[in-house]
Amino acid sequence: MTQITREEIEKIARLSHIELTDHEIINAMKHVEAVLNYAARVQDIAHDITIETPKNNNIERDDIIIPTDPQPILAQAPEREGNFFIVPVIIESN
Amino acid sequence: MSIVPFITIRELEQKLAKKEITREEILEFYIRRFEAFDHTIGSALEIFDKESILQHTSDNHGELYGIPGLIKDNICQKNRTTSCASKILENFIATYDATAITRLKHAGALLIGRANMDEFAMGSSTETSAFQKTHNPWDTSRIPGGSSGGSAAAVAAGLVPWALGSDTGGSVNQPAALCGIVGLKPSYGLVSRYGLVAYGSSIDQIGVMARTVYDNARVLSVIAGKDNKDASMQQTEKKDYTRNLTGILPKNLRIGVVDNALHAEGVETEIINAIETALAVFEKHGASIKHIQLPTLDYAAATYFILSRAEAASNLARFDGVRYGLRNKKASTLSKMYFNTRHDGFGEEVRARILVGNYVLSAGHAGQFYNNAQKVQRLISHDFAQAFADVDILILPTHPAPAFKFGEFADNKLQMDLQDYFTCAMNLAGIASLALPCGISSNNLPIGLQVVGPRLSEELLYQVGHAYQQNTDWHTKTPTGF
Repeated sequence: MTQITREEIEKIARLSHIELTDHEIINAMKHVEAVLNYAARVQDIAHDITIETPKNNNIERDDIIIPTDPQPILAQAPEREGNFFIVPVIIESN
Repeated sequence: MSIVPFITIRELEQKLAKKEITREEILEFYIRRFEAFDHTIGSALEIFDKESILQHTSDNHGELYGIPGLIKDNICQKNRTTSCASKILENFIATYDATAITRLKHAGALLIGRANMDEFAMGSSTETSAFQKTHNPWDTSRIPGGSSGGSAAAVAAGLVPWALGSDTGGSVNQPAALCGIVGLKPSYGLVSRYGLVAYGSSIDQIGVMARTVYDNARVLSVIAGKDNKDASMQQTEKKDYTRNLTGILPKNLRIGVVDNALHAEGVETEIINAIETALAVFEKHGASIKHIQLPTLDYAAATYFILSRAEAASNLARFDGVRYGLRNKKASTLSKMYFNTRHDGFGEEVRARILVGNYVLSAGHAGQFYNNAQKVQRLISHDFAQAFADVDILILPTHPAPAFKFGEFADNKLQMDLQDYFTCAMNLAGIASLALPCGISSNNLPIGLQVVGPRLSEELLYQVGHAYQQNTDWHTKTPTGF
């Protein structure tokens, strides 16, 4: 039985770059635990096997530069300056 | 006006060829259908205006000239919003066409709007959409299935003759079955994923929904085939999947009925009866039926949960508020901006799947979960390969019970996830699956079955399905009130 602790959810949420409220952490614990407990059954039968995989030749694409206009993409930037995306400060100074 | 509700693509093509109608009249007809009925089912996030639709296609008299279709909102249409039914992409405008879209436009298709879906294709009921609920046209207190619920509901209600969906664990075939229409999940690598917002990159496919097998094959013919923008594809040439639809069941067809699916826990009697009746039809027309077991089937959902969530966690890492989409503007640092944007922008189900995904990949857990799941995936592929040594196609249920009510699994997320039980094995094996309507339940809800074949067997599946539809009329049944 996988038991998900609060610390584990908080750690995984940090790895996932997702902020969670207290209430959301509790719900996430329940939800994730239920799924993992079901999914854990894969270990009951997992073993190595060699199977035939479809033969596929690696395709190569010619290295031709197709210029793309960056403006439609930059136009959607939450904040921009010229051809740069502006983001909040990376390191907070004290 | 000679267009009737629930008219098929084939019938529309004939009328166009005889110049009985114009494409503008067809478009007008379907736009009016959405205006009249979509407020009751909420299938579309947006219907484009008439002039815009005609400008966003070609004048080629191609295979889908003049035929409107609805596009699931995780498939990029240039200059249209592509939201994946998520707040994090609510105002995102696609800057390019998916390959499937390019091909549809080249064929003269009229792309009428964007279909509602579960957020980022994560769900089996379309309830996780950040914007609206879609209702099953057969009973509006029930879900249409998911995640391509908008696409299925629109076709089922006759608001559009075809729609595109996407299928990672059953998201085309389950809603198709619950809404009484034909769905195809292509073999992995048959249809280009360029422009499909990725959920599980090693299993995602764009799929087709339509009223009949012929219509479905018609649309697949336009979008399938190799694309140098998607290196994960089979190098299949484009082909016309309608060409060999004789209406006659292939000679000496050997059908394997997956008994441990048909009689799995939770499968309702009416579903079993409908499928057994369908088997009798096949037998009557010369097929032989063999009862088989797929021993690893019971592990498919567990395997799918692990692999799909792992890939999703990776694929959704790009949504961070930096370059496009929602940004939490109150954040004082970059890090807080990431954390808060992703909290605000993703719904609960999406967040949970990302957490599961990163958990199963993390140190200390990857061995138990991710590595084992990869091994079981190979076992599942092997099971299917063994089955196909003795039979040509497999038949099994798509769903355990007809469409359920809204909120049915609100307190039991695992049960909701297990709606993928009968479909996700085919995604894991990368093989083709066709959902066909095969019955109506005692409470007037559609029942569908799946016909499954090896990789790149779409032509065979369509031949079987088309023959079935020449000898049954389930695909002609329609919900009342539309």
